[in-house]
Amino acid sequence: MSTKVTRTWTVNGEKKVVEVLPLRRLLDVLREDFGIKGTKEGCGEGECGACTILLDGQPVCSCLIGAGQILDGSEIMTVEGLEKTEGGRILQEAYMEKGAAQCGICIPGMLISSYALLNSVSDPDEALIRKSHAGNLCRCTGYEKIVEAIQLAAERWPTGISNIKHRTLIRHR
Amino acid sequence: MAVVEKEDFRVVGKSIPRLDAGGKVRGLTEYADDVDIPDCWHGAIVRSPVAHGRLLGLTFDSSFDWNLVAVVTSEDIPGKNIVDMMGQDMPFLAHDEIQYRGEPVALIAARTKALAKKSLAHVKVDVEEHPATLTMQDVVARFEKDPASLHLQWKQDIRKGNVTDALASADMVVEGEYWCGHQEQMYIEPQGMIAIPEKDGSIFILGSMQCPYYINPELCVTLDLPPEKIRVKQTAVGGAFGGKEDFPTLLGGYCALLAMKCGHPVKIIYDRHQDILYSTKRHPAWTRHVTGLNRDGTIAAMKIDFLLDGGAYTTLSPVVLFRGILHAAMGYECENVTINGRVFRTNTFPNGAFRGFGAPQSLWALESHVDVLAERCGMTPHDFRLKNCLRKGGVTPTGQVLKESVGSPAVLETALDKAGFAEKLTRCSAGDPSQDRWYGIGLSFFAHGAGFTGDGEARIKAKVALDLDYFEDGAPGINVRASSTEMGQGTMTILPQTAAEGLSISIDRVRYPYPDTQVVPDSGPTVASRTAMVVGATVYGAGEKMKAQLEKFASEALFDGQTVKLSDGRFESSSAGNSRAFEEVASLYLKQNGPLRVYNQFDLPPTIKWNQETFEGDAYPSYSWGCNIAEVEIDVLTLEIHVTKVTACYDIGRVLNPLLAKGQLEGGLVQCLGYAIMEKIQIQDGIPDANRMQTYVIPTMLDTPEFDLCFVEYPYDHAWPGAKGLGEIPMDGLAPAIANAIKRAAGVRITDIPITPEKLFEALKESGSIRGTEAS
Repeated sequence: MSTKVTRTWTVNGEKKVVEVLPLRRLLDVLREDFGIKGTKEGCGEGECGACTILLDGQPVCSCLIGAGQILDGSEIMTVEGLEKTEGGRILQEAYMEKGAAQCGICIPGMLISSYALLNSVSDPDEALIRKSHAGNLCRCTGYEKIVEAIQLAAERWPTGISNIKHRTLIRHR
Repeated sequence: MAVVEKEDFRVVGKSIPRLDAGGKVRGLTEYADDVDIPDCWHGAIVRSPVAHGRLLGLTFDSSFDWNLVAVVTSEDIPGKNIVDMMGQDMPFLAHDEIQYRGEPVALIAARTKALAKKSLAHVKVDVEEHPATLTMQDVVARFEKDPASLHLQWKQDIRKGNVTDALASADMVVEGEYWCGHQEQMYIEPQGMIAIPEKDGSIFILGSMQCPYYINPELCVTLDLPPEKIRVKQTAVGGAFGGKEDFPTLLGGYCALLAMKCGHPVKIIYDRHQDILYSTKRHPAWTRHVTGLNRDGTIAAMKIDFLLDGGAYTTLSPVVLFRGILHAAMGYECENVTINGRVFRTNTFPNGAFRGFGAPQSLWALESHVDVLAERCGMTPHDFRLKNCLRKGGVTPTGQVLKESVGSPAVLETALDKAGFAEKLTRCSAGDPSQDRWYGIGLSFFAHGAGFTGDGEARIKAKVALDLDYFEDGAPGINVRASSTEMGQGTMTILPQTAAEGLSISIDRVRYPYPDTQVVPDSGPTVASRTAMVVGATVYGAGEKMKAQLEKFASEALFDGQTVKLSDGRFESSSAGNSRAFEEVASLYLKQNGPLRVYNQFDLPPTIKWNQETFEGDAYPSYSWGCNIAEVEIDVLTLEIHVTKVTACYDIGRVLNPLLAKGQLEGGLVQCLGYAIMEKIQIQDGIPDANRMQTYVIPTMLDTPEFDLCFVEYPYDHAWPGAKGLGEIPMDGLAPAIANAIKRAAGVRITDIPITPEKLFEALKESGSIRGTEAS
């Protein structure tokens, strides 16, 4: 695993080519190689969810994925990509209005989980909202304002928008 | 003081969304690890492998090329090798005695993180190991038998009346012991600091911190630099909760020492594992209550021992002890009170600041014990509290008369009513073996001192400034300058709110940049629930001063000397029809005079009297008040505890921003929920056993209760617009409320948090009330 591999992905809608050791964490590729620093590291072991990104429509912890595991042609979306989508902008507005971001460090990962949820179920009940975000830890808010923000975004979610290639039911983490 | 009625507020009291939210939802906000620092090296720390011993030396493995890295030992420290905190007993780098496992003995910097890490494996720390004191249990056992054998870090007592006589004459004496363990702050952004050496020999330190003016001057002592040669700037902080109060001085100091040695910028960003092992935590505590109680439900005497595990060095522990004992019997009428506070050394990482700062520990004990007292004299927990709670005119254990802004008993009455407490109390399961799911409800009532203890605010005199200048868009605006930090709690929004209110302009043209000691005056540290109250009031006053100056300017420049008033963003004179916008007048001012800076400084009213020696007098300028009611359900089969609903009422004075205030309360309550039933650390081989997020479990979105929160507002007039503390009080009361609810659900009282299912199982087994078990 000490030989570099070349990968071509679409990151936030832009084509990116990277030559990388297969076991280099996707999180490090994003932050250090691409300089896309919105995605945060909170624990490095898949517990806190701060590094959550969308990989072909699925929310995953980028600290747990080796770059070599990600196939050519994969689509990656980070918090920086949200603004380019209607749903992402709706979520950002709702998070701001409801006071869902306090210190903000969990928010990049939290928003990605929200985006994945609403793209697959646009009218989730509170139980599904909570279940689908249980892998995103927040130490500031007590989660109430985040749940309210997701509910507000769901109310505003237009029908028929989905920027996710592979629509799958949200994993219950 | 301006007389402004609540309904006249234009900006204060409004649920204005956070001014810093835009960057946060776009992923643009720069936290310490996000800042691009060209040519930055990475620091690593060589640590002691034992908890107690003597450092014999360091062996640097010759197979490693040491020319690739910079190494700093205690001999390289330019100034004094001490951390300039209380006690002055902590070396920056150990050079002789080792007091805890993980204590830094040397520092290494390298071009890459990987190389720095690799080099650590090539240093051997030679030590002679000594026996260690490691846990609160050790401390308490020795305190009972042979206290002189313990290393006392600090002591402070409170005495009121005559406890000995009152205990002897009371109808009964009720005793109780209460334990609480370490709690990890678990901010999601780990500790991170950066030091940049400048050409003129000065050092620029930036990173994740609460208190820029702790680092400078504390590092002046270690680095042997004058204050003007240490510049400190806060980056965005991804949560702190006290964890970034004292510790950044150490991490920033390590970076600075390495940067001075290698000549490159150096950063250290902890990973989670390091962060849990090697940064401060909440002090474990043991409290013993001995209470003289009368059958009519009056409290005759309270004798309290309050012990803290200080960890290896004194650091901030005395102040934590002060806040602990000042809250240990607070909130109730009692003429005879003795509180003995002690901090003892253990050979573990020095414990430090964490939201509440000693009060959650002593209130955990008090509010558990008060329920026991109620039971012993046959009263309900709410009637007992309503009978004994301090009210306006009441006298605290330090002899402070509560003259104004007293939200008691309003918080208690409001929460009891909202929760339907009295009725629900009759429905508790009390360990009924015929039920599958036990229900219980519990209560706590408490006050939290706002601002520094005693006359601390008079001594520190918070200073702030407002800068009127052009913003990037070419229009005039105001930057609020203070050293108070935004760490998630809302400083960046509420300080502009108070400035805008003082000026009577829209908040759109007011903002709060990250503090930089080169630019901002010292408004004190961001601690002690003091930012909204003390700094907010000082900023409001600065707004009023700037308003007066601009009104005078407008009068002369535009209104022919008529009296001019700035109101709601417009300058108006008494003559009708003449009105100018704030932007127009401010632009003209800037054109003619250049930027305008207005200072203001906080002072306490002279009526505040405090004796720091005897702990008598006005312990805090004012108090916030709270009442928490927890409802729990317990699965009888698994003993899993579900906190289903929390009803809470708070008096935090004027609520500056209800949206932010509620968010902070919810967050603090959930943090306290974790403290009560989830978050557990035991010391194993000198370090925490729960040392990762996988093993130190904090509440997720699935663990939180339904909330019913409300405020009753009793503004503090000496800090207009009248906010009191908010940051810490949500951490104070939920743990005992939950324990009291568990008692009524399961029929057993647990006196040691966190209350895990295992602990509950043991207690039920002991009481013989476990259903269907043949374990005994």
